[in-house]
Amino acid sequence: MQTLKHIGIIALNTFRESIRDKILYNIGFLAIAMTLFSIVLGEWSVFDRAYVIKSTTLSVMGLSGLLISIFVGISLVQKEIQRRTVLTLLSKPISRASFIVGKYFGLLAVVAVHLTLLTAIYYVMLFLTGSAPTLSLLTAIYLIFCEMAIVIAVALLFSSFSSTVLSALFTLGVYFAGHLSDQLLEQVRFATRMGELNGTSSMVFQKAAEVIHAIFPGLYRYNVTSYVVHGVALPDMYVVWNTVYAVGYIGVFLAIASWWFSRRDFL
Amino acid sequence: MIKIEHLHKTYHSGFLMKPKLALKDVSFTVEPGQVYGFIGPNGAGKSTTIKVLTGLLNFDSGKVLVNGISPRNVKSRQFIGYSPEQPYFYDYLTGRELLKFYGKLVGLSGKELDNRIHWSLELLHADKDWIDRRLRSYSKGMMQRVGIAQAILGKPKLLILDEPMSGLDPMGRRDVREAIMELNRTGVTIFYSSHLLSDVESISHKVAMIVDGKIVREGTVDEITDSCGVEYHVRTREAIPQAELPEGVSPAGHPQECVCADDAARDRLLRYCLDKGIAVERMDHKRPSLEDILTEEIARADA
Repeated sequence: MQTLKHIGIIALNTFRESIRDKILYNIGFLAIAMTLFSIVLGEWSVFDRAYVIKSTTLSVMGLSGLLISIFVGISLVQKEIQRRTVLTLLSKPISRASFIVGKYFGLLAVVAVHLTLLTAIYYVMLFLTGSAPTLSLLTAIYLIFCEMAIVIAVALLFSSFSSTVLSALFTLGVYFAGHLSDQLLEQVRFATRMGELNGTSSMVFQKAAEVIHAIFPGLYRYNVTSYVVHGVALPDMYVVWNTVYAVGYIGVFLAIASWWFSRRDFL
Repeated sequence: MIKIEHLHKTYHSGFLMKPKLALKDVSFTVEPGQVYGFIGPNGAGKSTTIKVLTGLLNFDSGKVLVNGISPRNVKSRQFIGYSPEQPYFYDYLTGRELLKFYGKLVGLSGKELDNRIHWSLELLHADKDWIDRRLRSYSKGMMQRVGIAQAILGKPKLLILDEPMSGLDPMGRRDVREAIMELNRTGVTIFYSSHLLSDVESISHKVAMIVDGKIVREGTVDEITDSCGVEYHVRTREAIPQAELPEGVSPAGHPQECVCADDAARDRLLRYCLDKGIAVERMDHKRPSLEDILTEEIARADA
């Protein structure tokens, strides 16, 4: 009970700290500007205007969420260490795991508020342009949120033991690996089928692709823009299983981050 | 309250993780209710020891207990209040907001939290209008007071202060000194490090001196200074010829004044004066200060 209370207090403080961060506002304003720009893109495009607005705005949500998760997320722990505020905080009767989990939920709340704000603008825009705002778009937005929840956990994991720049690079690496791992596996299988890879090299490439696919979180699962924009139904329980999948990865990443952070010396 | 036995701590730095022994076989005990001063030059291991006690640093070997619990256990910090050297806080908060944040972390809320904040600020003479300003506008002295205020919010049994007087003007030093004494009167054990040795001499029940990671002296201020020998400066009514000065007695610059190197030399001089009928006008007992002893120990470690 006490641990939950500590997590809540740290999360609230993290939220307060983040919403006073200038980077957040820059990303937020950029996202709103790009969302509004999608109307112009819709007019210029040869494609259906509603399709362009819907898909562009969902991409903007994903991208801005990613920027917040990486740039604000990584600096959260690093700032505490560099400014030495961590010394007073961790001398209180709170565990280091509570600190990491509190930071996580604080930033998750920031991303949730950001996405909620963009969602409101998104629906107003769709309504005003007569672009058929459907409730199914919320599914795509929810899955973007799940994806960002994983990315924040990855960012916190790396920032618990490496510098800001390295943490940003590692997190971006995991993000791209997570988005491309299924394509990589597919490509290796395709090349093997076509005879371009054979023998030992085929086996090595296939194993490597399988390992990457198994280890990195499959973030491609959370990109359902084309389904919802074209009104194609997602498989049954798709959202539920991918929520469970996200929670599993987040749990593992936060557990490793907490373990690593607990072993650190603070000078 | 604090028990440290054979504590060793090594830092690893650089790309090759070169080891540097920061604490070498450190042992001492702080009894409940004491004001315990921890002194030594920069880089001697004071802050390292304090951070081990607060669980911020791991250690290689030895035994460390805070109120009977290892600092590796979160529970040990339920009894501790800690203010680091040059405390840094979230500068986007006001002093009061910061105290509320830390107060909640030690389990306070509502009216009790407000009362405790008021009490801590009053004790440190910090209940002024600046407490509602953002921390980024604070001077070093204000920051130091807020640092100590957050440390005492939870009414700890043990207060650990790393250089609590640094950055304070004479008034601030007096306020902090008085706050330490007041807290100690209410039963709080104080363990603090300081460079200001005159303050350490005046308020500490016991002192440990650390040089180059090793405890070189420990005891009350009297025990430490007495152990280094004392001098007696004796002023007589008439001059004593230098050739007749007893063994261990030397002239002190003034013809009627001489210096006795120890108790035996003092006794010899007094006997000589009685025999010759020379009146003794004044005798001063001069013993080295903590600063003299620390300087001597640093020189010995460097040699």
